[in-house]
Amino acid sequence: MRLEMGHIYIKDIQFAAESKIEDGILYVSEEAVKAVALEDEKIKSVSFDIAKPGESVRITPVKDVIEPRVKVEGRGGIFPGVISKVDTVGEGKTYALKGMAVVTAGKIVGFQEGIIDMTGPGADYTPFSKTLNLVMVCEPIDGIKQHEYEKAVRFAGFRVATYIGELARELTPDETKVYETCTIKEGMEKYPDLPRVAYVQMLQSQGLLHDTYVYGVDAKKIVPTILSPTEIMDGAIVSGNCVSACDKNPTYVHLNNPVVHDLFEQHGKTLNFVCQIITNENVYLADKQRSSDWTAKLCKMLDLDGVIVSQEGFGNPDTDLIMNCKKIEAEGVKTVIITDEYAGRDGKSQSLADADQAADAVVTGGNANQVVILPKLDKVIGTLDYVTKIAGASEETLREDGSLEVELQVLTGATNETGFNKLSAR
Amino acid sequence: MAKLKVVHYINQFFAQIGGEEKADYPVELRVGEVVGPGLAMTQNFKDDAEIVATIICGDSYFNENLETAKAQILEMVKEQAPDIFIAGPAFNAGRYGVACGTIAAAVQEELGIPSLTGMYVENPGADMFKNQVYMVSTKNSAAGMRDAVKKMAPLAVKLGRGEKIGSSAEEGYMPNGVRVNFFEAERGSQRAVKMLIKKLAGKPYVTEFPMPDFDRVDPNPAVKDLAHAKIALVTSGGIVPKGNPDHIESSSASHYGEYDITGVMDLTEDTYETAHGGYDPVYANEDADRVLPVDVLRDMEKEGIIGELHHLFYTTTGNGTAVASAKAFADEFSKKLVADGVDAVILTST
Amino acid sequence: MNRGKYTVLTNNPLVFDKLEKTHEVIYLETTYEGLLREVRDRIHEGHLLLTHPLSGSVKPNETPYKSVLISTEKEEVDASSIAIIENAINSCHKFQDKTGTYGEKVLEDFQLIDWTLLESGLPSADFW
Repeated sequence: MRLEMGHIYIKDIQFAAESKIEDGILYVSEEAVKAVALEDEKIKSVSFDIAKPGESVRITPVKDVIEPRVKVEGRGGIFPGVISKVDTVGEGKTYALKGMAVVTAGKIVGFQEGIIDMTGPGADYTPFSKTLNLVMVCEPIDGIKQHEYEKAVRFAGFRVATYIGELARELTPDETKVYETCTIKEGMEKYPDLPRVAYVQMLQSQGLLHDTYVYGVDAKKIVPTILSPTEIMDGAIVSGNCVSACDKNPTYVHLNNPVVHDLFEQHGKTLNFVCQIITNENVYLADKQRSSDWTAKLCKMLDLDGVIVSQEGFGNPDTDLIMNCKKIEAEGVKTVIITDEYAGRDGKSQSLADADQAADAVVTGGNANQVVILPKLDKVIGTLDYVTKIAGASEETLREDGSLEVELQVLTGATNETGFNKLSAR
Repeated sequence: MAKLKVVHYINQFFAQIGGEEKADYPVELRVGEVVGPGLAMTQNFKDDAEIVATIICGDSYFNENLETAKAQILEMVKEQAPDIFIAGPAFNAGRYGVACGTIAAAVQEELGIPSLTGMYVENPGADMFKNQVYMVSTKNSAAGMRDAVKKMAPLAVKLGRGEKIGSSAEEGYMPNGVRVNFFEAERGSQRAVKMLIKKLAGKPYVTEFPMPDFDRVDPNPAVKDLAHAKIALVTSGGIVPKGNPDHIESSSASHYGEYDITGVMDLTEDTYETAHGGYDPVYANEDADRVLPVDVLRDMEKEGIIGELHHLFYTTTGNGTAVASAKAFADEFSKKLVADGVDAVILTST
Repeated sequence: MNRGKYTVLTNNPLVFDKLEKTHEVIYLETTYEGLLREVRDRIHEGHLLLTHPLSGSVKPNETPYKSVLISTEKEEVDASSIAIIENAINSCHKFQDKTGTYGEKVLEDFQLIDWTLLESGLPSADFW
């Protein structure tokens, strides 16, 4: 499959009477985006705000972060099975608005974490301090169930991102990148001497605020399967989860999956990037066993030489990660795994809930229990009402001078397990 | 900023007194002198620190007179009241490495003075002390001196000033079981791709998180004839005769005890206790059988379920005791157990 | 392996309410870690662990609630079940205990999340 990605760099976001993109500036009609968000009757009200890198702004509780894109050529549309109709994506031409994101916020449950600081020490850890953020805070109608609220906010974010993406349809990209994968046979013939490598992505799939969707399908109901790595660039995988904010993949991370992009960098040079394998992280142990069996089987059937396995979330996925690693290595396929750590505030505890000697090549996104002091910022988008309730926080979290003492866990994307960041630990 | 005061510990070899033939050289304090590797150290300190005294001790002397040597050195260090204590580097010299680790850990723990040492990763002293004291990873011979002091000097200054110590990868010390965050030059996915390419090519790479290394031991076949078997008790739960006659340490034990329980039917509050730190000892002290089940085994002996209970038991404290030390203890007393015709051992912990 | 019947161990009143009439549920008034210890004791008796004790991303000591499925039947003690539950219990100590700090509404949210985590495993459990 061949996908041409056109990058359009956004330098600024401003509210205006009419929505448009001109000279790299995104003008947003507040009225228009509100209407898009309110298409769902379960949303009572929505407010929009803009947060820019370096500003004294804190966004919380963050639910999802989405990069606006538009499909200009080829089959299907962005977010197939969710916003666009079901059709195989990943070929043709797609434009992405780089340097910006749509951020959805809103308290679905009372202990929801997810902080993006646009300045200060917190900004060093969350990758979304570097994007211009169009933030939408959704309030649900009264008496709504948390499930419905979650779904309403999830979809509202995708609708608004799609609306913004559409504004770029007629533009000329600032930069174009081509991503192309071969079929199995083509790859064998074209790169006979290069190691055959795939990316195994584990998707969080466990319940409310713990789900991921593939072409609209709840990932806990899939068995491991293969994708062309270009499919994710059109939104084949979207996020429905934000609990354990530091190591969950917002939709932005799926669209820009760093393992996919960095393997493409080496494709045809040092390796042959064969495909992406997706698997899930269910709570039922026999499901874990089946999924890891299948993942290892696919690796074998594809005659792979090596894989990178990425994890999502805390705790039980450590078991999936180790099962995958062990079984794939047992098939003679070399693995590198990406995880993060919960080594306690003092760094002295056992980092993972599972371990095996087969996991001899590990990349870590850092210790999520590390304490960080977030200074009081001038403006809060969302609410700080619940900040003492979130993971890694305590009653002492909100300190007298207005600063917050929290663990890295609460910062959106801080210890991402797809290797999105530079943070690590030793 | 005032210069930090450093006391430096080296062996007879690096003090240019002599080799193995001088290894029994006793402890010597040279106030105001910079000796051997201290010179290179001083150069690397620039204006941040200075060696105010050098302590020299022969490797055999230290290891054969452990308690005396330790006490002597601690007294000397205390007198000099330095901001930082440096031992070595010891490279791959085994006894020197153990001495450096022992004394650096003791200075830090007993005098509260930050300490630093350095040695080769396979030096036996490394495994024993790397989790107790910052230990710079060096090459395996003195040819690596330049490289070693280059890492040790700045780390010593940081320690002396009480500054925040970065991760092992940044500072050059051996991973010590404490995970420290830092920012890498490349994002994780790039590091993963590079690691995979190396792994595929069979080239060396360094994992960012070494998996805990559990030394798995296959169980022996079951005892066939329990009724005629001689059973011994061994514990890492620190059960000792009241008063702890051999002074087994409450943590990081340096030795084990062997005690005779001939005729002892029951461990009572008046006769036995635990030396073990790190857990609430009340229940163990009230009735040491809870950790070392002599009473139950005596019953079984009487009922003929087991042949007999061996008249000696072996004990140490597991708390913080280096795996290498524990292995060495077991290596020694296992031979005694075999020689005494013991068929099986019940090993209890805390 | 007889996985046919399963038992729910929970300290979550919502799970008890939802499953009490249709399932075998053991409700225990205990902490998150206490519940895991109860699970461990049963594993040592020969019950098989069916769902991962650290299900979900809500951290131990952050949420007070936990529900776990084990086999109703006893068999030989399962070594991998023991490994998983022991690692899970060890994980509890890495997190600050905040369970005493919540209001009713937040507790209800925690109950709901724990229920959806358990619920996500039920179709698989029922299938056997």
